[in-house]
Amino acid sequence: MSTAQLDRAAPVAADTRGGVLDRVGRLRNTSPGRLQLILAALVSLALLTGLVTGLTAAAAASGTDDLGNRAQPLLVEAETIYSALADADTTAAQAFLAGGLEPAPLTRRYEADLERATAALTSAARRTPEQGPSADAIRRLSADVTRYAGLVASARANNRQGLPIGAAYLSSASALSRESLQPQAQALLQAARGEVDDGYGAARSSWWAALLVILLIALLGALLRAQLYLSRTTRRTFNLPLVAATAVTVVLALAVGGVLIAQRAHLSEADTEGSRPVALLAEARIAALRERGDEALTLAARSGEGALEKDFDETTARLDGLLADAGEIMPAGYAGQAVRSAVTKHRAYVSAHDQVRKLDNGADYDGAVALAIGAQTSQTFTGLTDDIDSALENRKDVFSDEIGDAGRGLGPLTVLGPLLALIVCGLALAGLRARLEEYR
Amino acid sequence: MRTRAALVAAAVTVLAAAGCSGDSSPLPGRPTASAGASTGAPAAPADDSCRPRASLRPAGALPAPGRMPAGSYMAEIQKRGRLVLGTSQDTLLFSSRNPFTGKVEGFDVDMGRQVAQAIFGDPDKIQIKVIGYDKRVSSVVDGSVDIVADTMTANCARWKDVNFSSIYYDAGQKVLVSKDSKATGIDDLGGRKVCAAKGSTSYDNIAKVASRPIPVDRPGFGDCLVAFQQNEVDAISTDDTILVGLAAQDPYAKVVGPRFTDEPYGMAMPKEHEDFTRFVNAVLARNRANGTWKSTYERWLGDFGAAPPPPAAEYRD
Repeated sequence: MSTAQLDRAAPVAADTRGGVLDRVGRLRNTSPGRLQLILAALVSLALLTGLVTGLTAAAAASGTDDLGNRAQPLLVEAETIYSALADADTTAAQAFLAGGLEPAPLTRRYEADLERATAALTSAARRTPEQGPSADAIRRLSADVTRYAGLVASARANNRQGLPIGAAYLSSASALSRESLQPQAQALLQAARGEVDDGYGAARSSWWAALLVILLIALLGALLRAQLYLSRTTRRTFNLPLVAATAVTVVLALAVGGVLIAQRAHLSEADTEGSRPVALLAEARIAALRERGDEALTLAARSGEGALEKDFDETTARLDGLLADAGEIMPAGYAGQAVRSAVTKHRAYVSAHDQVRKLDNGADYDGAVALAIGAQTSQTFTGLTDDIDSALENRKDVFSDEIGDAGRGLGPLTVLGPLLALIVCGLALAGLRARLEEYR
Repeated sequence: MRTRAALVAAAVTVLAAAGCSGDSSPLPGRPTASAGASTGAPAAPADDSCRPRASLRPAGALPAPGRMPAGSYMAEIQKRGRLVLGTSQDTLLFSSRNPFTGKVEGFDVDMGRQVAQAIFGDPDKIQIKVIGYDKRVSSVVDGSVDIVADTMTANCARWKDVNFSSIYYDAGQKVLVSKDSKATGIDDLGGRKVCAAKGSTSYDNIAKVASRPIPVDRPGFGDCLVAFQQNEVDAISTDDTILVGLAAQDPYAKVVGPRFTDEPYGMAMPKEHEDFTRFVNAVLARNRANGTWKSTYERWLGDFGAAPPPPAAEYRD
């Protein structure tokens, strides 16, 4: 900026500012002037409070709505995509292990998995903005799921004709699932988790709420000081319209406080009793499916214990930790019971798996396969995932309930807040106009 | 200072080891320099300086099954109760998983079963361990299998790390192309993508061809056929025996060309158990003579013509 501009601009600004300040300053010297100032302050504070109340309620309502109807469902869908793909991979490997024509129940399970994954992909796509890492992951997943299904279909067609190339198609499909599909589903899950965290921030709208609290305190303070001033300068102790305005402001403050405090309480319940356990249990289900997949693929590779068995051990340790955490935050109730049952069944499954490894290492490959995909082990494992599922469903319901409660009252507040503020304005105007009239 | 000297010594040992093991199957802990080094090298005649076809002479008559001489490696296997055979499960006719039964079977598996028969009197006392083509040498060296029968070429580079049995099958490398291809051999495939299993001699050989095809590796030859059917590669090149098995699974593929390499198959065994190599050679010698080899050939490869005479055994001592 040049000095010339400064020279030209400075006097003008000083002039206007000086003018306004002077006029306001002069108002303070006369009684009607002071009344006019008080009126202006009360009216503008009340209008501002009304506006901010409306905005706060609207922001909190849309944040809560977004969290409940978009971010959290997206997280659940991401988990569904991941676990359905992992289960499809495991099921395909087990069908292969069975030898001969793949057993019908396994084929049905594989098809149900794929259907679940594609349905979740479609609705996850609806919940993600068109650009960004989540959208990229969904696009790649959609393309790869089609490729994956094609490879498995080729594997089946070849298997039906008794051609060993079917096994190679299956291992290509499995490699695609493990190296591309599942990591992308994990990336989506990660992004969804971030969105849920952001969603809680948006739902709380803390900056708006803080501003609103300051404005409410300022409005109340201004009303009280105006009444003090009036009772000192006039003979009337109470200015009834202003008393009414104060009462309405208190009602507004109580309504705002009540709704926002209740909303926060429900949000934090939704987080600790809903989102967190859901995230933990979702991760637990993925870990359980990973164990089963490692087991089946180790047997299918027929190479003895390798990297996959090591992964099994690591996953077991992780799953134990996850279930322990889940048990800690859900000590009682239906979900807690389901988690405890899952812990027992996981132990039973791991000991069955150890037996499978012992048989395979002891050269009884057929025995190992029979035990691994046999009814007993399958039942134990399905029991484990069913327990995790029912705890997960229970926590999802808790989340929906809490989010529903958190959103309650925010809508009415959006209308009621500005309305009450307008009433405060009107009352302030009425209260002070009577006094101003006296100076005419 | 002493630790540093030890480190240098260790590094030198590792380098020396890598140098002498000019094989595509890397040994545990050794750098894999050979695959990269061989790419683009001019076609060199196979190194026959060690006489790769020549194995160790059998020591006298075979002991009776179940009565292995004390202290021998065979006695160790007998005590364990099973022979651990390293092989693949996707090489149709040699060792592949029968989709109907889930069992791994083929010419190579039968070779292993005949050894189990000689040790235990029961060919079923065998544990099949599927190993990658690039693990055929290292699995023998680290003791995770007793013996490898997996369309494995006996060559000088591998002889440095393992012992081979006498040759039980003579193969040679050809190419598999699509039915409508005009290529008549590997020489017509310059600049085209040609697939082979990772760690196989076939893979190294592709890069040595003068017309310069582009070698592409996959974990196994079944995976190569998948790549071929998905149009990811133009051809597959490996031993004619394996290619016949692949072509049998795809009516739109054909095997063409003359054999451009010689691939004598031997079973690989640990270097430190010479008694075992001699024993296996005795089993092979007996089976060549009594017609077992011929019936095994006819069982798996009979569709491609009458059985040729079995490869003659050569010994180095």
